[in-house]
Amino acid sequence: MEFTLLFAAAMAFAAGVLALRWEAARGNAADCASDLGQVLLTATIVGLFVGRLAAMIGSGVNPLTSPMDILIVRGGVATGPAALAALATVAFVARDELIQVADAVAVASLAALGGWQLGCLPREACLGTPTDLPWAMTQPGSSVGRHPVELYAAAIYLVAAAVLAVVRKRRLAPGLAAATALIVAAAGRLVTEPLRPSLGGGPIWWYTAGIVLGLGAVWAVHRQTVSRPPVRPV
Amino acid sequence: MKLRTLLAALMLVATACGAEVDTSSIPDLAEVSTDALITSIQEAGRPAVVNVWASWCGPCRSEAPLLSSAAREYRETVDFIGLNVRDSPEDAKRFIAEFFSGAPIHHVSDGDGSVVADLGGTTGVPLTFFMNADGMVAKTHFGVIDERTLALEVDELVRASAG
Repeated sequence: MEFTLLFAAAMAFAAGVLALRWEAARGNAADCASDLGQVLLTATIVGLFVGRLAAMIGSGVNPLTSPMDILIVRGGVATGPAALAALATVAFVARDELIQVADAVAVASLAALGGWQLGCLPREACLGTPTDLPWAMTQPGSSVGRHPVELYAAAIYLVAAAVLAVVRKRRLAPGLAAATALIVAAAGRLVTEPLRPSLGGGPIWWYTAGIVLGLGAVWAVHRQTVSRPPVRPV
Repeated sequence: MKLRTLLAALMLVATACGAEVDTSSIPDLAEVSTDALITSIQEAGRPAVVNVWASWCGPCRSEAPLLSSAAREYRETVDFIGLNVRDSPEDAKRFIAEFFSGAPIHHVSDGDGSVVADLGGTTGVPLTFFMNADGMVAKTHFGVIDERTLALEVDELVRASAG
């Protein structure tokens, strides 16, 4: 059992729930009936399942003949399919009030991503490529200083979550918070990817696609706002 | 109801779709001793990643594709050795044909797990030893290894060898 991975997942869940409560306390409570915590949790579980399934198929393991291998999350989760499945789940579960729910879980999603990245501390998996910078960290028994790249990503997500929570108070146009969160989520991984040790450079096309999708959503929100007829004073 | 029956039938057929694996090109795995393993690493003069696996180990199946990719990626700098433990020769060969096919990994057998014990490992598989060019264990990773950890530890090995 991968307890450190489980602990990292618990940190992500806790960060997401705390963000939802913080938002509610600040008066950013969602104008929707859905249980936001349930929506986030369902999307995460479906995303993990589909991502793991895609990783298994991609590496030549038949999920039908080896069904229990799905539980071996450490064996790899395909980022792109996982993210798509999570987004599709949110779209399905909250289909009657999609924009409101997407906006309402935007801050919590970023906070959960930050919590997941912070989970590198119990997993002892924060380090990336070598560097001479003063804040470089070393592995036990090694003299090679390395970027604490997972902590960089955690900082990006947690700061972005805090900023978005503050900005949301100003009543953003519907959909803008969700689109911004999507852009930050993808950009946070894209900018830190070169600092991560990997085989073949990581799934940067998926992160780029996430940014493009988010920018498209921002453009659609802008179009909607501009084309809306002005409200006549009574 | 018909749709469900059809889906169930399709799943059954899919589970049976695994083609019979051809093991004729896989040589028998030579039994290795701890001294022989260390000597071979020293003679090669390169750091080595020694992955302990068994065909009956589900998690080993999960990490095998990653190890195959890594062995191809780092073939110029690091040797990859597969240490098969407590396994039947035929099952081991079938596993190699299915999951390590074409990867530059030299597989040997540690029938009773004594080499793993000598290197400081446990009876649980999978586990991975990162060994310096002088044959000393630099790090041991217990359980399934992920891409980031593998890439990081190989980088540490290569830098330690170069430095």
